[in-house]
Amino acid sequence: MKTLPIEELRELLAAVSRHGDWHLLEIETDLQQTAFLLNEAIEKLSASFMTVYAQLTDQQAALQLLADAGKLQPEEMQQLQVFQDNIGQEINKVVTGMQFQDMTNQLLQRTINRVHGLKDLLHELSSHQFPMAADDEHEEIRRFIMQLNQNFDQGSQHLTGNLRKSVNQQDLATGDIDLF
Amino acid sequence: MAKTILTVDDSGSLRQMVAFSLKAAGYDVVQAVDGQDGLNKAKEKTVDLVLTDQNMPVMDGLTLITNLRTLASYQKVPILMLTTESSDEMKAKGKAAGANGWLVKPFDPKRLIEVVQKVIGA
Repeated sequence: MKTLPIEELRELLAAVSRHGDWHLLEIETDLQQTAFLLNEAIEKLSASFMTVYAQLTDQQAALQLLADAGKLQPEEMQQLQVFQDNIGQEINKVVTGMQFQDMTNQLLQRTINRVHGLKDLLHELSSHQFPMAADDEHEEIRRFIMQLNQNFDQGSQHLTGNLRKSVNQQDLATGDIDLF
Repeated sequence: MAKTILTVDDSGSLRQMVAFSLKAAGYDVVQAVDGQDGLNKAKEKTVDLVLTDQNMPVMDGLTLITNLRTLASYQKVPILMLTTESSDEMKAKGKAAGANGWLVKPFDPKRLIEVVQKVIGA
């Protein structure tokens, strides 16, 4: 009876684990970098937004002083009111739009956690505790592969169970409101 | 005297947008970074409304609500959830925990203020 290519199988599993781990590490690094950049972007956008809003508030106060002093014509005041309303509407849109980072960050963290879980699963391929030798009986090898497969299935299901999706928004349209 | 609203969210940018919207409407705002921080701040000063996220580290929104409802001073204080979660199952859990409303992110400032005014007045 020919011996089984156990060493080759062991090397294959270790290679899948090693290459998978390397690629997943790259994915994780890119995701972390993306999250960092988005976080920095939202901080800068928020700071600029607050400054612009403060300047607009001051500007409106100055214009109100002019209006109170009777230095503005009625049509000019009417036009200013239109500008003010338009600015108010745009500010609301900006506040809604700037909530993107909260959602993208949750999605990125979920993906990073999945990558971590997948790395652990792949690690199982190279770090398994099952004895395996070329002269083992065919049935023992079969049992080993089945056990490995079962562990993989369980690990995958466990990972899925821990990664419930909390962000299902497909766009930045405002969400529903329910009062109980 | 301005009414005080406690906003609880682990996202700094979201907290900033909520606080901005509420302050622009004339409310005082206390901010907390997670459920435990929210609970601590709620105990320090009884607020007029709690607006909380659900998914946060340390303590989530539902646990915060459950804890707040055990406090005598928070039996009747309105609590609204403001979260990305939108499933009926989660909303039912929120209602069972003692939430008075559920707002799905992203929020529109005008609609947020309308809801807050409806719940606690201007």
